[in-house]
Amino acid sequence: MTVSVVAAHAVSRTFVMPAGSVRALRHVSLSVQPGEYVSVVGPSGCGKSTLLHLLGCIDVPTAGSVVMDDVDVSTLTDSARSALRLRRIGFVFQRFFLLPMLTAWENVELPQAEAGVSRAERRERTRELLEYVGLSARASHRPAELSGGEMQRVAIARALANRPGLLLADEPTGELDQATGAQIVSLFDRLNADGTALVIVTHDPEVAARAARTVRMRDGEIVEETTRTCS
Amino acid sequence: MRRALAFAWLRLRREPGRMLLGVIGVTAIGALLFDMLLLSNGLLVSFRERLDRSGFDVRVIASESAVIAGPPIDGVSAKLNELEREPSIAAVQRVRAASADMAGHPSTRHVAVAGVDLNAPVPWTLLEGSPPLHPQIAPAPLVINRNLARAFHLTVGSPVVLNGRCGDASRPLPLDATVAGIAEFQNDAADALTAATSSQAVAALCGERGDVADMLLVRSNPAAGGPDAAAAAIRAAFPALHALTNEQIVERFSRVEFSYFRQLSSVLTTVTLFFGLLLITVLLTVSVNQQLGEIAALRALGLSRARVMAGVLCESALLIGFGGIAAVPIGGLLSRWLDAILRSMPGIPADARFFVFTLHALEIHALLLVIGAVLAAVYPMRLVATLPIAATLRREVVS
Repeated sequence: MTVSVVAAHAVSRTFVMPAGSVRALRHVSLSVQPGEYVSVVGPSGCGKSTLLHLLGCIDVPTAGSVVMDDVDVSTLTDSARSALRLRRIGFVFQRFFLLPMLTAWENVELPQAEAGVSRAERRERTRELLEYVGLSARASHRPAELSGGEMQRVAIARALANRPGLLLADEPTGELDQATGAQIVSLFDRLNADGTALVIVTHDPEVAARAARTVRMRDGEIVEETTRTCS
Repeated sequence: MRRALAFAWLRLRREPGRMLLGVIGVTAIGALLFDMLLLSNGLLVSFRERLDRSGFDVRVIASESAVIAGPPIDGVSAKLNELEREPSIAAVQRVRAASADMAGHPSTRHVAVAGVDLNAPVPWTLLEGSPPLHPQIAPAPLVINRNLARAFHLTVGSPVVLNGRCGDASRPLPLDATVAGIAEFQNDAADALTAATSSQAVAALCGERGDVADMLLVRSNPAAGGPDAAAAAIRAAFPALHALTNEQIVERFSRVEFSYFRQLSSVLTTVTLFFGLLLITVLLTVSVNQQLGEIAALRALGLSRARVMAGVLCESALLIGFGGIAAVPIGGLLSRWLDAILRSMPGIPADARFFVFTLHALEIHALLLVIGAVLAAVYPMRLVATLPIAATLRREVVS
């Protein structure tokens, strides 16, 4: 039996708002295997991002559990969850969230420095990652000097910096034009082919179609799961 | 922490306007704070230095009231004879304070006159002329300060007539005197007209027959116990007199007269510090609020809560550190200017200082700034510490 990279068991997430409670997720279970490529689709407000946040350990479920390495992450301290995210999970955001005062190189180097990677190793890994995303020539550029697609590629390189087993992407092509989005999707394909497990939340059916498994959500529940067979 | 500091520096550089505003604000506030600290202790330090410079370390007066404001000491000559035999006492000087008018052009001027024993150590430093050793009365040898010499165009050897304005005399008593020397007197105000002569001449000027003095200045013998032993011997010999060492005078001054200064500077220091904290807190809070998405993303990438809090603290420390360092020379210059204004007040001794630099003041300044940096960062640190990562990322996308 394969050990999953992350698994959500009957998770629910309720947000308490001034106008009343909102149940964003209802008893959702999802398991991601090593090297798997999963897309999560559904209408706005159906709970896709909430599920991604739970899988990425940046939020904890109101009920149920998220298990990573046989550990229920909601039992971990905030600091332990931070350490888990730093070393085991990569995040790619719709709005990139690169640090504007750092160069592309420094942005990619940042998570490695935080993880205590040696200077020599950092240099090697950063060079390798920028080459991987095709931005070696733009290493010394700051985000303001990069295009949207380039910024997202730097963000992907940053997410991969500490060799995570799981990469989570929330609408990674949401801010990009179709052609640039296609480049990013190709990059994800390549990443997955190289063995990284991917969970992508998207509105774009073309992006979702690249995943081996597509999870469709509605009103905080998984309503359909489809698995693409290799052609 | 080094990474947090480097990161904070990059964040500050990203917004040079904010950094400049913060540093200028802290510099201005820090300069005022530094001046308050110099003021809070400066007068006391200066007073202490002036007492020590006088060459006398015990002062004897007849009452517990302020120095030279109470009744005179009677039978001084006999007391001096007895005190001079004390092994803990090296020398004793008597001082009788009087006042006189000096007629001159364009008007008659008021002169403070001190009567002393010319053969004992004197409380002035002779600049011109020779020490007057003979206590004759006609003409009396007179030592004057520079202001008096300048005001009446007097030089060594000039004849002078003083008209006594003291004692029980119903009309001014004239005293012929000759300028024997020009000197710098301790405790002289910047504009004071001061003269000194023998105690016999002052008695004649004031029409006094008694053997009195307002104060005895004592130089203790360091080999026989110093000022404390001398003061104890005086108290034992003359229980009705009050002998105070320089240490005790400073302590009394600090407790009574100086407490107003200290209270004033404490209040101003607190207010100044409060506004400094407010400025940095506002700047940091605005900055944090503008970067919530970025901070949430960093947290999502795995930066710990302590790490992002350390970043805010470092930003605060850098702003306050740069401003605080710049505040020292600026505060120093400002204090010199303020000192000159205060010293020009009438009646202030020319060598008194209100703002005195001490290492202790610098240490307190640094300590207050460190505390300030921490306190200013508390609220923005709390903001980043309690930042809900997922909700913030969601809000950023929606906005």
